[in-house]
Amino acid sequence: MAKVVLQNVVKTYGTVQAVNDVSFTVGDGEFVALVGPSGCGKTTTLNLIAGLIPMSGGDIRIGDRLVNDLDPKDRDIAMVFQNYALYPNKTVFKNLAFPLQMRKLARAEIAKKVTEAARVLDITHLLERKPRELSGGQQQRVALGRALVRDPRAFLMDEPLSNLDAKLRVQMRTELKRFHQDLNATVIYVTHDQLEAVTMADKMAVMNGGSLQQYDSPKNVFDHPVNTFVASFVGSPAMSLVPLRTVTSGDAVALAGSDWTLPLSPANARKAQGATSEQVILGARHSTIRMHDAAAPGLVPGRVYTVEPTGDVTFVQVHVDGAIVIVSLDPGIPIRTDTNVWLAFDQNRLHLFDGATQMALR
Amino acid sequence: MSDRITRKGFDGWRWAGRVFLTLLLLFTVVPMVWMVLTSIKTQFAAMQYPPQWWPQEPTLENYTKLLNPANPAGADFLRYFWNSLYISVATTILGVGVAVPAAYAFSRFRFPGRTFLFFAVLLRNMFPAVVFLMPLFILMRWMGLVGSHGSLILTYLTFGLPLSIWLLKGFYDNIPIQLEHAARIDGATRFQAFVLIVLPLSTPGIIATAIFSFIGAWNEYVYAITFLNKKERLTLPVGIQKYFAEFSTDWPGLMAATFLMSVPVVVLFLVLQQYFVKALTEGAVKA
Repeated sequence: MAKVVLQNVVKTYGTVQAVNDVSFTVGDGEFVALVGPSGCGKTTTLNLIAGLIPMSGGDIRIGDRLVNDLDPKDRDIAMVFQNYALYPNKTVFKNLAFPLQMRKLARAEIAKKVTEAARVLDITHLLERKPRELSGGQQQRVALGRALVRDPRAFLMDEPLSNLDAKLRVQMRTELKRFHQDLNATVIYVTHDQLEAVTMADKMAVMNGGSLQQYDSPKNVFDHPVNTFVASFVGSPAMSLVPLRTVTSGDAVALAGSDWTLPLSPANARKAQGATSEQVILGARHSTIRMHDAAAPGLVPGRVYTVEPTGDVTFVQVHVDGAIVIVSLDPGIPIRTDTNVWLAFDQNRLHLFDGATQMALR
Repeated sequence: MSDRITRKGFDGWRWAGRVFLTLLLLFTVVPMVWMVLTSIKTQFAAMQYPPQWWPQEPTLENYTKLLNPANPAGADFLRYFWNSLYISVATTILGVGVAVPAAYAFSRFRFPGRTFLFFAVLLRNMFPAVVFLMPLFILMRWMGLVGSHGSLILTYLTFGLPLSIWLLKGFYDNIPIQLEHAARIDGATRFQAFVLIVLPLSTPGIIATAIFSFIGAWNEYVYAITFLNKKERLTLPVGIQKYFAEFSTDWPGLMAATFLMSVPVVVLFLVLQQYFVKALTEGAVKA
């Protein structure tokens, strides 16, 4: 296994910047998830690492080797595709053997390695079948088998779980994580599902509009999003964002809504004063907000918009100054729509973003 | 609801469809049956009125005559037959050989003039073939090809290729590009990925294209009669027509020749059809 380094990688299609100056390092044996909404450039980035499309600029290193101009076959990587890309006219055995045949291994050794990979993935009984005779989960295993049959330096995975049904996806997620731990493999994993990224990855690279927004551990991305995009993309339900103004009187700083103010703690006041204008966005995750049924100093008034019970927890969407704030409640608490409520924000766990630049205030 | 409606008595549309299909079947089959029946009649029986529906003295004499190189009519027929076979096979092989890479390129690559070229290819098909007869004849004369089989092969290629490319491009469009990506990551060059993975998957398309260009060349008449001037170089459609003029009364002979002419196409179709079905079911163009 090897590390993978991207430096100032650029990909343009005509005037469209698909990947815009992306740099990050995937450590040896690390599981990195590339996440972002559709069209954010994550799959393009993966294809650039694989060498399937030419770069417009920048450098990619796999191990210590500069691979900018190498063919995919010479990069010594393996890839798992969203549609599995199993060769439909070959049996499972021949699918697994293909990468070894292309590397001109002896017949006996190919048979040995294929058998071993099949045993690990528990697909031995499927070896003589054609891909179309397999279920989605089985095809997924075969695709994985074809990737790991020949110890590549890195695994690239392009949304490998998104074609599976919800139950199987959760199961395969666990297996993939286990597979990564057992092999100590370097994995670069593309997904649009932030939950997959958070649960499996050592680090996640959040992309939007071709640019890398944040590259950090899932915990840090979750706890310290660098901008409003990351804040609203990671976490389910998303972080609530309320655009407000700052009001300063002496040392005290408060956030002002239409007919209320929220005094900020000294630490938060200092952050808010770092904003480029008085436009500041308040961000808070559902679990850090408490709901009250009577007004009190420091509470923010709102009106219940919808109530969504999920069983474990009930999500309440509250209208606050034109924005929606999501609060989680114990399902035992009765709550009705269109009632007035008052919200308490945890000063230690709320987020402030610059209203003009959308960047986190630190 | 719909179940009850369809089960209630007489379904007019369904019966109309059946009647239509039966008429269509008769329309195509009866002439062929008549051709075969006439070909095994004697000359006298063929000219009888009212006609003999079933030959009273069936004979294979017309066939033995045509297939016997010692017989002048047979020698001519066999030469025409080989000429046609040569031209059709050459057209098919060259056509597929050019159409496969061209279609692949149209399907996979973005290059300047791609759209223009592709529509230029279609534009040709909007004109009847006869429009190009004189220009092509002048072109062939300028190249010194008039009267040669090469002129016909070239002509059939110009007419056959556009549709072949169009047909095959559809097949390549349906083969997921990820298969090639996977092959290239698994250690294949771009060319190997094409030959080892894509080509086998496009077998049904290649066979369909081959049948299409073979039949086109085999049956073509207008260009063959214009470009070929020596008797020994004629192709079957032209040859049979001359034979028809010379022995205008020999209906059984003509029918036998026509029947023999249709044999290669039917054989080709039957042989390749098995392949076709096999490739379709095994290959499952979708991944």
